[in-house]
Amino acid sequence: MEKSKTESQKIEYIVGTEKGLKDLLSETEVMLLLKGVVKAGAASAVITDAKDRVLWSNGNMQDDSPYIETGPVYLEGELVGRIKVYGEDRSKSYLKNLTGLLLDTINMIIHTNLKRMLTTEAHTTIVNQSYEELLETNRKLSLSEGQYRELAESLERKVQERTEELRRAHARMLQQEKMASVGQLAAGVAHEINNPLGFISSNINTLKRYIERFREMVDFYHALLSGGEIADKVRGLAQQKQKDLKIDFIVSDADELIKQSLDGAERVKKIVSDLKGFSHIDEGEEAVVDINTEIDRTLNVLSHEIPKGAEIIKDYHDLPGFVCNPALICQVFLNIILNALQARTGTLKLVISTDIRHNNIMIKFSDNGKGIPDNIKNRIFEPFYTTKDVGKGTGMGLTVAYEVITAYGGTIEVESQPGEGATFIILLPAKRL
Amino acid sequence: MIEFDEIEKRMLLKLVYYGPALSGKTTNLLRLHDLLERNGRGDLMVLDTKDDRTIFFDLLPFFLETPGGLKIKIKVYTVPGQVKHDATRKAVLQRADGVAFIADSQLAEAANNVESFSNLEKNLAIVGLDIENLPLVIQFNKRDLQNIIPEADIKRVWEPTGIPVFTASALQGWGVIETFSRLAELTYRNIDKRYGLKNNYGLDSETFLQKLTRKTEGTGYI
Repeated sequence: MEKSKTESQKIEYIVGTEKGLKDLLSETEVMLLLKGVVKAGAASAVITDAKDRVLWSNGNMQDDSPYIETGPVYLEGELVGRIKVYGEDRSKSYLKNLTGLLLDTINMIIHTNLKRMLTTEAHTTIVNQSYEELLETNRKLSLSEGQYRELAESLERKVQERTEELRRAHARMLQQEKMASVGQLAAGVAHEINNPLGFISSNINTLKRYIERFREMVDFYHALLSGGEIADKVRGLAQQKQKDLKIDFIVSDADELIKQSLDGAERVKKIVSDLKGFSHIDEGEEAVVDINTEIDRTLNVLSHEIPKGAEIIKDYHDLPGFVCNPALICQVFLNIILNALQARTGTLKLVISTDIRHNNIMIKFSDNGKGIPDNIKNRIFEPFYTTKDVGKGTGMGLTVAYEVITAYGGTIEVESQPGEGATFIILLPAKRL
Repeated sequence: MIEFDEIEKRMLLKLVYYGPALSGKTTNLLRLHDLLERNGRGDLMVLDTKDDRTIFFDLLPFFLETPGGLKIKIKVYTVPGQVKHDATRKAVLQRADGVAFIADSQLAEAANNVESFSNLEKNLAIVGLDIENLPLVIQFNKRDLQNIIPEADIKRVWEPTGIPVFTASALQGWGVIETFSRLAELTYRNIDKRYGLKNNYGLDSETFLQKLTRKTEGTGYI
């Protein structure tokens, strides 16, 4: 049957597509039969469609053929065509039988061909469909195989990552243990030093006062000796004695000695107090602070230390309040900034940035100093470790920073390439438990 | 899925007899072929079978013309019931306009009925047909046998679903036309809703059913 030209209504059946006479009968088959009918005595034989249009014909087609015998051709219950047999009037009954025979044969061929076509169609469809299903199954299997392979590969990588993480954690633990024992030791030493240091400072101050008095006495003798009532001999002897004993030099040098001693004692006191601070970080009042404000406060305190022309770039972001001892957290910032000041090679450029990163407060200090060589990178947080000249640094600054930050559940790390400055990265948990 | 050619005024419907192996789907079609008048239906096309088991499908075509000149061809298919022929079932089920599920009443076959019905649900989903909106009737066949599920049990299980259920003996020839008529009626309702068969082509439900189920003169149940 002719299909409609309208695309919208055209539906392809997977099995059982509609067939027409032209689909079901072949020229060879039909013409053989029609020729046979003509040979058997008919003038001509014709097969038309349902609208009487000639599909196939054979024989001498004359308009005035005297007799027509017809029969309907059905396909699936629908009239789809007719066969017409022309001939002489006298052969009427013979032609009728011939037509009947032709009709039966045509119907049989239609039935057989339709059955064959449906079988082929179904077979092809099912084979194709099964093939496509197999392809799809294969595709899915390949996909899942790929996923498993990827999983296996990433597993290896993850094991490596985890191993590295464990190794770092182990190193950190060892470091903490070392810090803790050093801290206890330091606390004990600090206590022991504090007592003698106390009387040393106090005694030097007393001594300073005593020397003042000695000098006063010496000055008094000077004044007396320069008077006229004293015999020249006595004056000469006294002056000689004063010269021999280098009293003038001693008097002037004593001040310097005492000043240096007091400075030294003060330094010892500072070291001891750092030691104490570092071993007693859990003391003191805690409050909710804004880290940005605390950094600014630290910078203000340091303002006289920061050289002219130094560039301090602040890249702050809003941060949640952080519960800590403000003095300690300021001490951390102070130590790191001081470090940057002391490590500078030319004009200082310090970038301070704060941000939130994965539920952590992130604080970064990037300087443009001489940087930290790889071989000492893991030692900078050790107590008493310093690269500064003897007497210039206590080696406690970064240790204190490390202890404070880890006590608050955070981390402090340094990234540095020698000659390209150093970046200290502090991560503090936004919500401290 | 109705194939409808508005210009040629042709409509092609597809009804499918589904069900477990050996439940009598082919017998249903054979019986319809014998019981219904030759005028308006084609021959039963039984595609290659092996030991009387359907491998591909059977096909019984019907043809009718409405007063409004619309030609409607209805092709009734069976599917192979054996589990291994699932690909064929899917191919045949494609674009179906209605389904008759032929269940085997024998108690021993209860599990097979359930399995086949699940298979129908699964395959309908695969070929993109909605079981909620598809005309569906159920026939419990082989009522002539012993050891069959009692009718009360069938009613108790199926009545709440709202799916029309029939009992039949395809072998003896009863219940077959009733099943087919109801499926045709539900299918008509669906198409009428979409294409207005009554308003546009003058074909009402009664005429449609009457044309499809004209019984051959003198043929009663065997």
